[in-house]
Parts: sequence; C-alpha cells; structure tokens
Amino acid sequence: MPVISIDHLSKYYQVHKKEPGFVGSLKSLVARKYEVVKAVDDISFTIDEGEIIGFIGPNGAGKTTTLKCLSGLLYPTKGRVSVLGHTPFNRKAVFLKQISLVMGQKNQLWWDLPAMDTFLLNKEIYEIPKARFEEVVEDLATRLAVKDILHVPVRKLSLGQRMKMELIAALIHSPKVLFLDEPTIGLDVVMQQTIREFLKEYNEAYKATIILTSHYMGDVEALCKRVIVINFGKILYDGLLSDLVKEHAPYKVIKVVLSKKIDQEKLDSFGETRSLNYPEWEVRIKQKDANETAAKLLKELPVEDITIEDPQIEDVIAGFFVANKKN
Amino acid sequence: MRYLRIFLIHFHRVIENRSRSVVWTLLSIFNPLVYLCFWFAVYKSSGKVVGDLSLSELASYYLLLTFAGSLLMAHIDESVAEEDIYEGGLVKYIVRPFSYFWDLYFGELGWRIFQGGLSIIVFVIFSYFLHSLSHFVSSPILILLTLLSIILAYTLSFIFRMILGFTAFWVTEFRGVQNVAETIILVFAGFVVPLQFLPVFMQKISYILPFAYMIYYPILAIQGKLDFSQMVKVLSTQAVWIVLLSLLYQYMWRKGLKLFTGVGQ
Repeated sequence: MPVISIDHLSKYYQVHKKEPGFVGSLKSLVARKYEVVKAVDDISFTIDEGEIIGFIGPNGAGKTTTLKCLSGLLYPTKGRVSVLGHTPFNRKAVFLKQISLVMGQKNQLWWDLPAMDTFLLNKEIYEIPKARFEEVVEDLATRLAVKDILHVPVRKLSLGQRMKMELIAALIHSPKVLFLDEPTIGLDVVMQQTIREFLKEYNEAYKATIILTSHYMGDVEALCKRVIVINFGKILYDGLLSDLVKEHAPYKVIKVVLSKKIDQEKLDSFGETRSLNYPEWEVRIKQKDANETAAKLLKELPVEDITIEDPQIEDVIAGFFVANKKN
Repeated sequence: MRYLRIFLIHFHRVIENRSRSVVWTLLSIFNPLVYLCFWFAVYKSSGKVVGDLSLSELASYYLLLTFAGSLLMAHIDESVAEEDIYEGGLVKYIVRPFSYFWDLYFGELGWRIFQGGLSIIVFVIFSYFLHSLSHFVSSPILILLTLLSIILAYTLSFIFRMILGFTAFWVTEFRGVQNVAETIILVFAGFVVPLQFLPVFMQKISYILPFAYMIYYPILAIQGKLDFSQMVKVLSTQAVWIVLLSLLYQYMWRKGLKLFTGVGQ
C-alpha cells in the first residue's frame, strides 16, 4: 500500500502578461492579458513507506510545486493526491501531525530566542507528551551533535547549526512523511555530509518516508535509490538512479598523468579531451571502449598514473535534460 | 490549557524582546501627547470648557488613548501581508496542525498586554501631574462590562487587522491599502479628537463603522461615561462586528489560500 499516490496531478497558474514600456502599461490597464503556466502537468506516481525519493529537475521544473501539492500548501488544478490516506489540501490536523515540510530557504525558528523555545511551541502545537518530547529532543540533538547549543539564541548560531535546529523543529513530532526542499542549500560540504548522514539515519530509525528536492546531486546520490526526474511540469524519468546513470552515461572518463609532453593532436586521437593541463589529461571515452582504450594508452603513451572513472552525476543529469529538450 | 501554554510561550518571547516594546510604547504615546499639548493651548485661549469637556476630562481622554492604543490596537496586518503572504512565511503556519488565527492572536496578545502595561506607567505619571486621575468607572458591574468590552475591542481590532493583511492575497501594493485604512482608523476610532468633536455627519458615520468600538467606546467605558444600557449596546455592537468580520475573515482566508503560491519559497 503506497504512502503517497499522485494520479494525473496538474497545477496551473494564471500569470498576468504585460507588454514592455508605458504603452504596454496603458494597454494592461484596459485589457489585462493572462497566460496559463503549467507548473505541473498530468503527473502520476506512487511512493511506498520508508522510501527516500529524490526529486530532480532544473529551476522551474515543477519540483517544489509538486512538493507543495503533497504537503497541502497548494490546491491542485486537476488530479488526485493522497498522502497517508488523506487529501493534503483539506489540511486536517490528523494529517498535518504526520507530515513535515522543511524548506532550506525558509525557517520556522524564532530568530531572537534559543531553538528550544520553538521546540516547546511545537510540542504544544503537535500535542506531544512531555516524556516523548524530551526523548525525541535528546535523540535528535545527540544525532546532530547540538546538545550544547539548544539554549543559545538562534541569531548566534552558524548557518549549519541553524539548519540542524530547523530539522529538529520539523521532526519533533516524528512525522511519517518528510518533505525536504533544498535542505542543504548554502551549507559547506562538511555540513552537507552531516545532514545527509543524519537523514539516512533518521529514515532507518523512524521508518519515515522522505521526498527530497535538491540541486546538489551529492544529496540525491547519497540518499536516494529512486529518483523522479521532472522538467516542464512532466515526469521524464521515474526509476532507480543507478539505471538512469547506466542508460544516460554511455561514456567513462579516463584521467591520465603523463610523464612527458605529448602533442594534443595525438592525444585527441584517443577520444574527446575534456581538459589538458600538463601533466594531467582527462579524456572521455565511450563506455564499451573504455578498457581497450586504457590498454592502448598505457602501451602508446608515457603514462605515470591512470584512473578510469564514471562521469559526474551532475553531467549525466545535465546530459539527460539536454537530450529530452531536443526531443 | 493548551492555548494558555501557547500564549505563555509567546509571552516569554515578548519579555525577551522588552526593548522593542519600550520603543513601540514610546512611539504610541507620542501622538496623543502632541494632541494634548494642542488642546492645552486651545483651553488657555478659549476658556474652561470645549465641546462639553473640561480640560481635565480631555486630558484623561488623551492619556487613556495612550493606554488604549497600546493595549487594544493590534499591529499584525503588515507582517501578515508582507512576511507571510508576499514572502511566503505563511507556509510554516499552513503545514502545522494549529490555527493561523489563534497562533497570531496569542502572539499579538502578548505584545498588547506588555505594551499596555508599560503605557499604564506613562498614564499614571502624566495623570498625576495633570490631575486627571479621578475620571474612572467605579461600579463593580460596569467594571466587569468594561473588561469584557476591552477583550472584545482587542478581538475586533485583531480580526480587522488580519483582514487588512489578507488583502495582500489580491493586491500587490499592500502599503497603499494600509495607508488608507490607517487614516480612516485615526479619525473614526477617536485617535485625533474625541468623536463628539467631529461634525454630526462624521459622528453618524463613526457609529456605523467598527473603529469606534475598538478604541473610543472602551475609553468612555473606562472613564465611567457609559451607563449600563449604553454598555450593553456597545458590547452588542462589538459582538455583531466580531461575527461579521469573522465571516469575512473566513471567506477571505479560504479564497486567499487558493491564490497563495508560497512565493519566496
């Protein structure tokens, strides 16, 4: 039984269009023109309990709109949305007590008070018994290593510490479904890593279903087996991340450290040079030819060191979008 | 008890931000005191009574206005419009299993009580020097009705300000709407002059609008100028306005939420 099911969901916005300049403004006063923007257009999918799903797409693809429809923020134009057996937009208390939405660019913490005060407010709002509240705060604060700063005013915390506190505030009621919109935005790599590890642990410990949107492919790669790729409001791919990479990354990258300079012309004959910064050289080779080319390189060139790598997942996804745009 | 605990958490925040309250209280007493200076000059040049009011009664009115303005006039519309609707802060309230209205109601109540408390100090000091402390309601039943009227006045002012903020669902320039509303409130709630000083047609308008029931009548009630039947009439009118504005609030909330896109997210 899926925890989340979306059936032919569409969300359209009416956007006012105005021609540029003064004349355009006058025309707009007399007869306003509107355009319908299809933020999400007829998408369907289901998500099972305990899954972590990555929602991938460029800006304006429809990821956040879908997340907002799932969390009850937006009223769908068409289609059916069910989360934990509820229609999100009805926003019944019993539904809201089982979900949480974290938006990396927005915060719910009171800026001027310690995070603990926001946790206490949430304790009352979610009607959490005192013992359970203390147990969850202790557990989450330990996992995120923030026990010693629970009583420090939020304005004095670093961005990473604030994000950790935001997560605790969002998880204080142990939601069954967690919507994360860019949770690591603006954080340094170490903090991104910490948040990813925490989310993974949380998913395992609390059996929570997590839907994540992120521009950092590292987040998706570390957390999500399954991804849903969306662009122009349509689902382009729904399946395993590994399959997506396999299907859409038909090449490997060979990194070579040369022991002496070689003409670029000769190097280019092995494959598509990605970068040449002597003694380092990166070449892109068709996946099926990778081993054979590596052997040839070792035989014909003065190689000091050689590694064969899969392409960066960012490149795979970017290539996927370009291919779909062309289609 | 849950609502009381939520109020106390909000109130704790107000106390932590006490310096902000002091600034706002000083700002809110400034206008009435300027008006009072003006009336001192008028009384000095024209005699002992203007518009049925002695100087002492008028001083009492304006000093109570500093108190009523701080205690009863909610200042929530701007944050509803700009922080919550325009910038998308509403998102955090919508996904929580607690009413947006009551969350803000208790949050604002804390600010009003604290600032109202501070303005009492100002009120007592100025009243002592202006000899206007004697004008107060004294009958126990009228005191009770006055307290009820104060609660209803705050509620009325709060709902009106929420509705004002909700206009941001439809208009992109909230400040214009706010400026118009502020001007109307200033005149018809009795912030500039006691309403009996207004021309008759304006007095009639003020009795139809809800603003006098937010500030002017509660001040008259505190001064003991309303008898039992007048108090009942004021309370009934306040209740009717609260019901009407609540219906409008519900309507605007439902319609507005369908337009809300969580921009800024």
